[in-house]
Amino acid sequence: MGSDTSPRAPDSLCALLLQRFHFVVLEHIAGTQFRILGHPSPWLFRLYPEAEASQQLSVDARTPVLHNFLADAAEVWQTHDAPIGRSGFWTDQTTFEIPWHFEALALREGTSRLLVIQHSTATYDQHASVLQRARDQALQQHEQERGHQRTRQDLTTQLVDMERSRDDVAAILQELGLATLLIDQEGLVRFVSASATSLLELPSPLANPALRWDSVLPLTKADRQTVQSLLEQPTAQRERVRCHIDTPAGRRLWLELALHDDPRDRRSKIVFLHDMTDVYHLRRLLELKAHYHDLIGKSRGMTQIYEQIQDLARVDSTVLIEGETGTGKELVARALHQASARRSGPFIAANCAGLTDSLLGSQLFGHKKGAFTGAIDDQQGLFEAAQGGVLFLDEIGDIPHTVQTNLLRVLQEKEVTRLGETKPRKINVRVLTATHHNLSQDVAKGTFRADLLYRIRVARLHLPPLKERKEDIPLLVTSFLAEGRASMGKIIHRASPSAMAALMDYHWPGNVRELKSTIECAMIHCKGDTLEAADLPPELRLESTALASEPVPTDERSRFVSALGQARGNRTKAARLLGMSRATFYRRLTELDLPSS
Amino acid sequence: MIEKKICMLGAFAVGKTSLVRRFVSSCFSEQYQTTIGVTVDKKSMTVDQTPLTLVLWDLYGEDEFQKLRTSYLRGSSGYLLVLDGMRRATLDLALHMQERATDTLGPVPFVVLINKHDQRAAWDITDRDLAQLAERGWSLLMSSAKTGQGVEEAFLTLARAMLAPSPPSPTAGNTHGL
Repeated sequence: MGSDTSPRAPDSLCALLLQRFHFVVLEHIAGTQFRILGHPSPWLFRLYPEAEASQQLSVDARTPVLHNFLADAAEVWQTHDAPIGRSGFWTDQTTFEIPWHFEALALREGTSRLLVIQHSTATYDQHASVLQRARDQALQQHEQERGHQRTRQDLTTQLVDMERSRDDVAAILQELGLATLLIDQEGLVRFVSASATSLLELPSPLANPALRWDSVLPLTKADRQTVQSLLEQPTAQRERVRCHIDTPAGRRLWLELALHDDPRDRRSKIVFLHDMTDVYHLRRLLELKAHYHDLIGKSRGMTQIYEQIQDLARVDSTVLIEGETGTGKELVARALHQASARRSGPFIAANCAGLTDSLLGSQLFGHKKGAFTGAIDDQQGLFEAAQGGVLFLDEIGDIPHTVQTNLLRVLQEKEVTRLGETKPRKINVRVLTATHHNLSQDVAKGTFRADLLYRIRVARLHLPPLKERKEDIPLLVTSFLAEGRASMGKIIHRASPSAMAALMDYHWPGNVRELKSTIECAMIHCKGDTLEAADLPPELRLESTALASEPVPTDERSRFVSALGQARGNRTKAARLLGMSRATFYRRLTELDLPSS
Repeated sequence: MIEKKICMLGAFAVGKTSLVRRFVSSCFSEQYQTTIGVTVDKKSMTVDQTPLTLVLWDLYGEDEFQKLRTSYLRGSSGYLLVLDGMRRATLDLALHMQERATDTLGPVPFVVLINKHDQRAAWDITDRDLAQLAERGWSLLMSSAKTGQGVEEAFLTLARAMLAPSPPSPTAGNTHGL
């Protein structure tokens, strides 16, 4: 066909073209009968072998789609100007070795009812290719949307779970009252529990959710550095940090900060804020009650003394401190000096007992060179030495009468005249005095000037003897043991129950001073780490022979049982024997599973 | 030999061609190959001692590019309405095609196949959706052309319905596979 270049009739050329493009043209005869026009493509005879001879065929179930199309074609043929009817592609995969694709057209040309069938591989493939790409893309897009949806759902679920977990944790923290912060690796606060918000008086929620931890915890520079250092240390090396902050409302909080690694991410830290403010204040209160400057004791008598000292520190009047010897009168005077506005001035103490008129006068008021035999130089007295501060005159009840007169003048005029001089010197000294005498009786006896008494007794403090505040003895013993440890280097931590019982039972005529020397003496004799009754001076042991004869129990429970036995079941006495308060005694009884009644 | 034409209807890529291949030649390909127009296949079987040849018209899947040519349905004794369990949109389209098939064919038997059961965990079509289809009285089967699950049963169910002497009752069938 291709080598034949001679001119052809148009009909012949068309027939060749139809064959070349694998077209088959059938003219409808009737029913399913068709006549073949021109030279059909060979595939027709594969489908309808009988047509090769007769040039006619009956479309049947061998081409079911074409057969089905005949009904559509019939409609097209009925109308002269009907558009071309198309069967659409169909694929035959039974007749041929590979699937063959066809499409049929129905048209009417004049009176001819034509059926054009095309084996259209190229067109089909092109169409299929475009559609395949479009559908592949649609499926891919669908998969992506599903992926996004799954991711969104997963994230939503995770978010819900996280929010639930966070709410659970927050609820637990709230229920437990735990004030907690979560600090991330950048030092930003990522979570603040409701308790922490309340404790730190933070706005809720935080205006800026990503504040640095030191903005949330306004610590002092030193505390801030400590916390920062701990944040960078491993957990094992972290200790609780004691610190204080001032809240926005001006409240001072005393806190203990405990830092832990976040178990989910060790770079983040969980900080527990323990509010120790109440504990701090209670401790301060206890310390204040048990100690005041160098004074020790928490008995009612001593706490009243502390309160009186505080009151007297605010004024500048003369004070008479009364009390038996060894009750700590000079310590009270020193405390009064320290608590007063004169604390930066000198504190001069003078014992007036046993000095002659001239010697005491010279000491107190000073003298001029040559004023008396031995006065080889000008000498200022103690009043001048105490200028701007406090002069403490101990045993004022023992000063001679003439000195009393001079002293009265100094107190009245607030000026002092050195012996041998005539010109007085102005002084600014607060005078504190002390005596173990009953000065009223001395006035009555005529040994002490009444006007001086009234001058020095503007205010008075009476120190209780130790026998009236025996509950302070354990505290004093503890303090003296600590002093002894420091001075002697002997590690003695406590007094045994029997030793304490002896100390409690003794009447202490020498008061605290005697107790202190007794403890020092016992520490010298003590061989172990516990002061035993045997270490005490004989006069104490005599008063507690019964106690000392008892074997000393070694364990805590036995000590309690023993103390109860010795006290014949009297808890108060047993507590005293053990050197502890009744409250502590009862608490320990419970801890040791001993009956408390 | 009785010969029955059945059509495979459903959205594109729901697995109509794969179901036919699994049924006719017991093979499966993971590769998606879109169908253009219609591919006709045949399968002979015996249903309750009745020899039967099914002429399977695997029609192209409908989408915005190719709309169902209802003339293809002409002469069908029944059809399989195929859904992709992983694409909920194929359910909506199936409902629409079922209406058009009913308009064209009348109340011929059909079976609804929820395909790709091998990926059940990833299905978008929910049990609630399936329950709603079942409430219509439709025959439902879950299938997987990949594993062959439910394929034979689907064609058999449809064949039995087509051979049933009583007037076809497509909406009265029991639900299957639920």
